[in-house]
Amino acid sequence: MKKIKIIAGITWAFICLILITILFPGLNSFSASAAKLSFMKINPNYTGGEVTKELISASCTLDIRKPVFDGLFRERNRGFVQIDWRGNIPDEIVDTIDYDFDKRPDFCILIDRAKSKTVLDPINSKVMDIIISTPTSYGWAVRVELIK
Amino acid sequence: MADSFILGLSSGSACLASCGMVMFPYLMAGAANVKRIAIDLSLFLFTRLVIYFILATLAWYFGQALLNNQLARNVVPGILYIVFAVMLVRYSISKNLNQECPVKIVKAINNRRLVPIFLGIVNSFGFCPALFIILTKGATQGTLIQSYLAFMAFFIGSSIWFLPLPLAGKIRKKEVLKTIGILATGLAGIIFMIKGITNLVGGIING
Amino acid sequence: MDNALNRAGMKKSFGRSLLYTLPMSLITFMIMTGGRLNFTSPASALAMVVTLLFVNILYFLMHYTGKTDKFRAILFIIFALSLSFTLISKMMAMRNVMSFSQADILECKIPFCHLVIPMMILPAVFTESIIFPGSIIGGFANIASMVVLWLVATLVLGKGFCSWGCFYGGWDDGFSRIRKKPTIKKISEIWKWMPFAVLIMVSLTAALTLIPTYCDWICPFKAVTEFEQVTSVESATKAGIFVSLFVGMVVVLPVMTRKRTQCSFLCPLGAVNTVSNKVTPFTIKVEKKACTECFKCVEVCPLFALSAEGIKEGKVSVFCCKCGKCVDACSKNAIHFGIKGVPAGTMKNFSRNLFLFVSFLFIAVFSSGSIINSLQSFFNLVF
Repeated sequence: MKKIKIIAGITWAFICLILITILFPGLNSFSASAAKLSFMKINPNYTGGEVTKELISASCTLDIRKPVFDGLFRERNRGFVQIDWRGNIPDEIVDTIDYDFDKRPDFCILIDRAKSKTVLDPINSKVMDIIISTPTSYGWAVRVELIK
Repeated sequence: MADSFILGLSSGSACLASCGMVMFPYLMAGAANVKRIAIDLSLFLFTRLVIYFILATLAWYFGQALLNNQLARNVVPGILYIVFAVMLVRYSISKNLNQECPVKIVKAINNRRLVPIFLGIVNSFGFCPALFIILTKGATQGTLIQSYLAFMAFFIGSSIWFLPLPLAGKIRKKEVLKTIGILATGLAGIIFMIKGITNLVGGIING
Repeated sequence: MDNALNRAGMKKSFGRSLLYTLPMSLITFMIMTGGRLNFTSPASALAMVVTLLFVNILYFLMHYTGKTDKFRAILFIIFALSLSFTLISKMMAMRNVMSFSQADILECKIPFCHLVIPMMILPAVFTESIIFPGSIIGGFANIASMVVLWLVATLVLGKGFCSWGCFYGGWDDGFSRIRKKPTIKKISEIWKWMPFAVLIMVSLTAALTLIPTYCDWICPFKAVTEFEQVTSVESATKAGIFVSLFVGMVVVLPVMTRKRTQCSFLCPLGAVNTVSNKVTPFTIKVEKKACTECFKCVEVCPLFALSAEGIKEGKVSVFCCKCGKCVDACSKNAIHFGIKGVPAGTMKNFSRNLFLFVSFLFIAVFSSGSIINSLQSFFNLVF
């Protein structure tokens, strides 16, 4: 029994030696495999949700994302919808957004980029307030708080 | 609701640490089998739930009556959170944690069937700092339902610790779990202290 | 003390030490260069050469002197400093400030750190997603790489990750060595369980709010890396907390106690690594018949892993981070590196050599990136 323990311990130690030796050279392929696991995607509370509609205009593109209400076990009562403006966006943005595509406008948004001022005019009673309005590397992003 | 649940979960451990080992003999007294213990525990928890609903109602009505402007709704709870959180932190690190649990008063009750109900009443009215915090939270909720939900979350968090009580004799490393639970209670106090400071400062700045 | 080390064979001759260093040199050379010798500039070539020499000289000295902790600590502290330097200079180059903006969060540009891992687990199980605004693959410190690195390192080293891997631990390790004697000597044992309480609280709050709360509210190392822009009362409170914790737990307390107080009393990942200490084959063992119960090891242990009662029973607790400080302090070589299953007092040399190879290889390669980067910046500045 004592001998078995010694052999088992030393064997496991040598396996650890091999693991550490191959870890760094193989890191790229191990990470690539790990990245394919089902949970290896960023939570939509951070990514803003998937883009459901792209509205392309002359100068820029408007991305309307899927509303995010994600919670731990089930959807929360409060969430948000993210709107992105990409490309050559004007200094003043005025848009009316229908985020649920029911052909009725949900809110109007006015962004004065120079003054970093954003004004939200809710039309739909589920639209609450602006959570984030910020310049990004691709243009501008706004998150508007919603209730279910 | 998340913070209420966490408050209940973390303070329930300290509550169990001080009161659990007193309640356990009562639960196990007499011809205690699994069914008997389950019934006693259910009565105990149900009584706690009823008391909490009463407290939630009272807290909310007091809140509506006294906290009737935006400033009061931020500043007063902010101060109360800080005070009770300090008490909770002190409670968790107090050397007198093994002091008399109020449940011991139940010794006076002779009726075996009433013991779990009286245990529930006395435990609920223990008025530990965690309960003061949840009372403050209940008072600041917008609707009565929200106050109930906050107390419910607190109740669920704290009750989890009582569920394995019948198996207490079989759990090893009780001292370590007790220590971790008490430290977690202190941390919950710190969370509410920060919440209180944020509320207070935010309330003062925003008028 | 040197005689004791000599007898036990920990200290090796020059030739033998060189021989032991040779495989380490070859492997570190291959891994760091990727087998190619094309450098972007003379500064990068010099930085690589200096780093290779530096780490291998340290490894050589570990064998030549028979001491572990001193040389480990040098690399560990330099790793922490160089990583902070690398991160801060990257941020200053990109944004001109140490803080990250809301845009950085929205665009998931935050470098991932292994301290997030305990908070990720419950949300990953229930929501099948990672609650961190970083990149899964590609870029600097991506999530997949960091998770793989930590997973393997913690399986192999257990809580040894805290002394041979964590790129923040060098901060409080460094500060704990400033004074020769502690000003606070007596610390209650109860506090060493605090990381478990922190782990429970941050795991729960992270799961319920889907925000990595330790990173968001607590992590003291934001003071030396990056932090959220202060734009509100909440973000100002967060800044106050992490600055206070850095000053208190990473600087002041380690200086006063000569212990790694942040690691011992706060870090939730340390609590998780304590569990993996059960899995690793490497451990510290006490040879009872050689032990004179002077308890010098208990005095020097930076993580409260040793106690007088434990030493009398020949036991080392799960809090042991295998830094080697106790081994170096023991004049009788009674406390030594060991392998589980191998009785205490036997195969000391073999166990130490094997452990050192594994642990040093990890830290040498893991730290090389930031050390090379820092040296390159220095050489670019100077030359």
